[in-house]
Amino acid sequence: MHSTPSRCQAMARPPAPGSVIVPDWHESAEGKEYLACILRKNRRRVFAHLTDLSETQPGLLERPVLPPPVAIDTASYKIFVSGKSGGGKTALVAKLAGLEVPVVHHETAGIQTTVVFWPAKLQASERVVMFRFEFWDCGESALKKFDHMLPACKEKTDAFLFLFSFTDRASFEDLPGQLARVAGDTPGVVRMVIGSKFDQYMHTDVPERDLTAFRQAWELPLLRVKSVPGRRLADGRTLDGWAGLADVAHVLNGLAEQLWHQDQVAAGLLPDTSENSPS
Amino acid sequence: MGEEGTEGTVHLLCLAASSGVPLFCRSSRGGAPARQQLPFSVIGSLNGVHMFGQNLEVQLSSARTEDTTVVWKNFHDSITLIVLSSEEGTSELRLERLLQMVFGAMVLLVGLEELTNIRNVERLKKELRASYRLVDSFLGDSERIGDLTQCVDCVVPPEVSLLQEALSGFAEAAGTAFGSLVASGRVVAATESWWRLGTPEAVLLPWLVGSLPPQAARDYPVYLPHGSPTVPHRLLTLTLLPGVELCLLCGPRPPLSQLDPQLLDRWWQPVLDPLRTCVPLGPRALPAGFPLHVDVLGLLLLHLELKRCLFTVEPSGDQEPSPEQRRRLLRSFYSLVTATHFPPEPGTPEDKVEDAAQRAQVPRACYLVSGPEEPGTGWRLVALQLGPRRLLLLVSAQSPTHGLRSLATHTLHALTPLL
Repeated sequence: MHSTPSRCQAMARPPAPGSVIVPDWHESAEGKEYLACILRKNRRRVFAHLTDLSETQPGLLERPVLPPPVAIDTASYKIFVSGKSGGGKTALVAKLAGLEVPVVHHETAGIQTTVVFWPAKLQASERVVMFRFEFWDCGESALKKFDHMLPACKEKTDAFLFLFSFTDRASFEDLPGQLARVAGDTPGVVRMVIGSKFDQYMHTDVPERDLTAFRQAWELPLLRVKSVPGRRLADGRTLDGWAGLADVAHVLNGLAEQLWHQDQVAAGLLPDTSENSPS
Repeated sequence: MGEEGTEGTVHLLCLAASSGVPLFCRSSRGGAPARQQLPFSVIGSLNGVHMFGQNLEVQLSSARTEDTTVVWKNFHDSITLIVLSSEEGTSELRLERLLQMVFGAMVLLVGLEELTNIRNVERLKKELRASYRLVDSFLGDSERIGDLTQCVDCVVPPEVSLLQEALSGFAEAAGTAFGSLVASGRVVAATESWWRLGTPEAVLLPWLVGSLPPQAARDYPVYLPHGSPTVPHRLLTLTLLPGVELCLLCGPRPPLSQLDPQLLDRWWQPVLDPLRTCVPLGPRALPAGFPLHVDVLGLLLLHLELKRCLFTVEPSGDQEPSPEQRRRLLRSFYSLVTATHFPPEPGTPEDKVEDAAQRAQVPRACYLVSGPEEPGTGWRLVALQLGPRRLLLLVSAQSPTHGLRSLATHTLHALTPLL
C-alpha cells in the first residue's frame, strides 16, 4: 500500500480554484437565468434519460433545454464516488442532485448512477457550458462480493471523488489506500477529495494540520461539505432548490474546473504541468 | 376496522435458527419505519417458545394476545422469522405472507447459499443490511398490494402496444429476453419471459424498484428466490422519465455503460408521448377516463392464473374515507375473504387439502358493511369471483346493498379486457 503518492503517476497539477470557472457566477443575474432550467418552482429537477427541461420533470431521456438564444454546449462526464462503507457516498450524491438525503443509512445494494446538470461560465472564453455529471456510486459490500463492480465503475471514468468524514478518522486514514486501490492504475484521471460532515467540526477527528499534510503530500483538490439537512420551502417539506444549490455550488464548480482543465490538457490546448514536476 | 389514529406497531425479528442469534430486527409504527426495539429477553423468549415446540415436533405457527398477533416461520431450517403486529385488522394470512416476502427479499439481495449455510454470522449480518430498505417497505404502509396478494401490481396504460413493441425491441438490442417497464413500482408492460418469472421474484423486482429513491440508473446483483436462488443475475434499471423505469434482467452482459443515452433515445424518443401517460398512472392504475360507477371508492382486481393485480383507491378521490383508510379497508377485506370465503389461489400449497366437494360449495360473491349499522352509513365491501378473476370493491355508504352484486358484476365485465 502506498502511503505517499508515487511521482511517476503524477498528473497535471490541479488548476488554481477560480482560474478556469468563474466563481460565484451562479449567484449573478445571468447565472441564475441558466440555473432556472435545472429548477422548477424552486425545487431541483430530477433528471432521467428522456428529460426535456422545458417540461415539468425530467427523466434519463431528458436533458435541460434552454431557449434557443441561450442554447449552450453540454459536456458530459462520468464520476466514480469512492469511500468507506457508511461514509455517506449516497448521501453526498443525493445532496449534489438536490434530492432528499436519507435519514437512516441503507447499504447500497449495487451500482447506482445519478445525473446532475450544472451550468458554469469559463474564465478564458466567457462561454457558458452545461456540465452533465453522471455520478456512479456503489455499495461497499457489493463491491467486495462481486468482481465485476469495480471495473464497471472505473471503466472510462473521468474523475474519482474520494470521500471521507470529518467525524470518522478511519475514513480519512483510509484515503491513501483508497487512492492506490481505486485510482492507482489510472493516471491522468481527475482525483478529488471531499470531506463530509464539516459542520460537525466541534467533534472533528481530522484536525487541520492533518489536512495540510495530506494536501502537501498528494496535491489533490480537497473540498468540504456540510451534512446539515437542506433548507425547506415555505411548506416545510419540500427542499429549497436554490438553497441546496448554494450549499453544493463549490463542489460542482470544483469538479467542472478540474474536468474542463483535464480536457484542455488532453487536447493539447494547455501545457501539461506534470512534465515539469520532479520524477 | 377502519378507525383512524390507531398507532399499530409491527416488529420483525430475524434469527439464525440453530444458534438463536438475532440477525436483524426491524420495526414500524403507524405505517412508518421506527427505531423502537424489542428487549433482548423478549426476542429470546419468542424464539425459545418456538424452538421448544420444534424439539417436541410441534409446529408453533401463530399466537394471539389481546392486541397483538404473532407469527413464526422457519425457512430451510436455517432462518427463523418472527413477526408481531398490533395493527388494526391484521391477520395471520397477512403476516404469513409478509414473512414469505421478507425471506424472498433476503434471498433476492443476499442469495440462498449465504442464508442456508451460515459460516460467519457477523458477515451475514453485514450483508443483510442491503435488504433493510426492501424489508422495511413491507412493514410500512404501501400504495401497492402485491406483498399481500402475491400477484404483480400492474397498471394499464392507454397505448400499451406501442410501449410493448419498444420494450421488446430494446430488450433484444440489449441482449436479454427479460425486460419490463415499471411506473411507481407497478408493471406497465413486460416481455413474455419477464411475465414467466416465478413467485416471489415477479412481485419483488418491481417492488424493489418502486421502493428505492430516484436514480438515473442502477446495476444491482439479484438472486431470484424461485428461479435462481444461488446464482446471481443483474437487475439493470434505467429511469426514462421520473417514476418510469425500464428494467432488464441479464447475465454478465451488457455492461451498464452500454445502455447509453444514445441507445435509449433511439428506442424511446419515438414513444415519448405514450410513455408520458405512464407517469401519473401509478396510483391510478387505470387509463384516464375509464368508466367506473361513482359509488366505487377503490378496487382490487386479481387475475389468479396470471398472478397479476390492479389496485387503486383513486376513484372519487374527494370523498371520505382517505386513500390510506381505503387501502387499509381493502387490504383487510382481501385477507378476510381469502382466509375464510374463497378458495386459496391456485398454486398455493393449501390447494392440496381442498377436495371436490368443497370446491362445489365455493361462494361466488360476498359483501360486508364496515362501520355503524344504521341504514345508509358504513362503507360497503363486495367481493366477486368469476373464473380466474376476483374483484374486490370498496363502495360508498350511499350505495344500496341490494345493488352491490350487479355493480360488482358490471365493473368486472368492464375491467375484464384490461386484465
